[in-house]
Amino acid sequence: MGVLLNCRGLDKRFDDRQAVDGITFSIDAGEVYGLLGPNGAGKTTTIKMVCGLLQPDAGSVEIEGRALDRDLSAKALIGYVPQDVALYPDLTAAENLSFLGRLYALDGALLRARVAEALELTDLTDRRDDRVESFSGGMKRRLNIAAGLLHHPSLLVLDEPTVGVDPQSRHAILERVREFGAGGMAVLYTTHYMEEAERVCDRVAIVDRGRMVAEGTRRELVSKLGERDRIELGATGDLDALACSCRQIPAVDSATVADGSVQVIASEARAVLPSIVEAAASVGVALDSVQVVEPDLEAVFLHLTGTALRE
Amino acid sequence: MRPVLVIAGKDLRQRLRDRSAVVIGLVAPLAVALLMSLAFKGTENFHYTLALVNADRGPIAGAMVQAFESKSLRSIVTVEDYARQTTAAQAVRNGRAQAGLVIPAGYSARLAGAAPLSLTTLTNVNNTTATSVTQSIVSSFVAQLDADRLSVATAQSAGSTKSTAGLTALASQLRIPEQLVARAVGARQLKVISYMAPAMSIFFAFFLISYTARGFFEDKDQGMIERMRAAPVRPYQILVGKSLSVLVFGLGSLLVIFLVTTKLFGAYWGDPLSVVLICTALVLAIVALTALVIGVARTKRQAEGMSSALVFGLALLGGNFVFLSASPEVMQRIALFTPNGWALRAFTKLSTSGGALHTAAVPVLAILGFALVIGVVAAVLAPRSVTS
Repeated sequence: MGVLLNCRGLDKRFDDRQAVDGITFSIDAGEVYGLLGPNGAGKTTTIKMVCGLLQPDAGSVEIEGRALDRDLSAKALIGYVPQDVALYPDLTAAENLSFLGRLYALDGALLRARVAEALELTDLTDRRDDRVESFSGGMKRRLNIAAGLLHHPSLLVLDEPTVGVDPQSRHAILERVREFGAGGMAVLYTTHYMEEAERVCDRVAIVDRGRMVAEGTRRELVSKLGERDRIELGATGDLDALACSCRQIPAVDSATVADGSVQVIASEARAVLPSIVEAAASVGVALDSVQVVEPDLEAVFLHLTGTALRE
Repeated sequence: MRPVLVIAGKDLRQRLRDRSAVVIGLVAPLAVALLMSLAFKGTENFHYTLALVNADRGPIAGAMVQAFESKSLRSIVTVEDYARQTTAAQAVRNGRAQAGLVIPAGYSARLAGAAPLSLTTLTNVNNTTATSVTQSIVSSFVAQLDADRLSVATAQSAGSTKSTAGLTALASQLRIPEQLVARAVGARQLKVISYMAPAMSIFFAFFLISYTARGFFEDKDQGMIERMRAAPVRPYQILVGKSLSVLVFGLGSLLVIFLVTTKLFGAYWGDPLSVVLICTALVLAIVALTALVIGVARTKRQAEGMSSALVFGLALLGGNFVFLSASPEVMQRIALFTPNGWALRAFTKLSTSGGALHTAAVPVLAILGFALVIGVVAAVLAPRSVTS
């Protein structure tokens, strides 16, 4: 399939902070592309430039070959789903969708059909005439996505669509995203949840401090670790001291504290375990659990940036 | 153009659905205009009831009563007879009458003598105007009597052979020349409702500035401005759409109040075409002020503060709370720096002189000039608020 979105050398600076620094990527039609990185990594700034909401300091965005900054109609190819729910609480679900649909030049029978379709797709048909203020958080999230789909965009841009969503709605959203990709729509998906990126994205770009540090399929990214393993140490005591002590072990690539545990990347987990136990004893930390985890994007991120994804 | 209409239509739908907007746009201006008209009604058509005690029953007292009941005074005073001073005083005290007059027994007989009797007025402290008017009428009557007496005395001194009665009859046919003639400058007297209806509707129309600016920042906080910008919509189209909804709602509100107060409450704003032109120019000024607040403010709270200061500042300076014609000259001059001041000046002229487009032309141009200056500044500043 052909390239649908082409972003080249995107730069954006806010005062003295470089929010995005030379990000380049492209997305094919039917591809779900993930921007994975911690909060503040530059994901949202990047997609705002992709959607024409922010003017890049440098670089360009092209959709189906049309330059976004020169061709307003290129925006009609994008379906934007913002991170926070952006809907009018005092309007009904159908009124919200109709308003947004009209902004994309939909009208009459076609508009009614698209509203009905979007509501059905997000399981909200029976609430079409209820005001949004009466919706649960999950329903608002689903309607937020429906609003981005009304005009059948070529590119759907989803900015952390599952933040604050209950597990059931989250599952439904992720399933829908996969279906959109399978249906031929290009999807740009930002998240800081590694498991979401692994589950729905065909390719993932790892973003940290405004820079793209790696890009590829999950397999390609994990292969960057080589034969390395991730060891998760549950412990009681000074975890920073434990991480520091682990870093002294020659076979350990990195050791960081994250989510109340110490994450260790090492070339051969089983060989290094006795040294880790000794290191824990040397700093007076009692190990509660030791888990060797199959390499994943979290480990890749840790390996590439030296920090945990959720830090 | 289409996004402009879509955004304006959505804003209007929300505004009409919001009861507070309907209350401020229609109900409140009508209610306050009517209340203020009632409060000032006494100054517009003065009329009172006089509790009269005629204990004299003589010819002079009779003539005085006739003077109070004359055709020329009928629109000002209604005379009610009371037998005793105490019952008349009671009527004045409890408000059945607003002033009282006691003509003592023997008043006519002793008027020509050396020690004439005094008349007594009964005053209600809540309506001293009625007593003042009574005293003026009595003074005028007594002045006529004194003139008659002087004429008789002069004739007798000059050696007239006619009898005193004959001379008195002759003198009574002579009238003191009128020294003060009140005549309205315009074709009509300015009714309170004709001033207060436009004044209050303009004052409440100014709240559109606050309502719209606040709504804009709420849209922004809710991410709706960003969502609109993600669509193929230019930033200026968002502002124009919102402005159009202000224009339609503001103009609709002013014209509905114009129709209701004209048809139901007898207000006269002026000829309809001039009224429509003035209202349109005024709402355009409101649109420009709204855009200015949106352009200058950075948050919803700032927008609320700025628009409140604008609304009350303009209303105070422009004369929405007081009759401009009764204000000091300096205030009348200051009012010419405000669009509402010009509009009220135009409505006052139209309702008193009955003029038409030529009367409205200068105020309309002045208001449009104000709108243009503010609009140009806002056009520079406001788009930044959409894209930031």
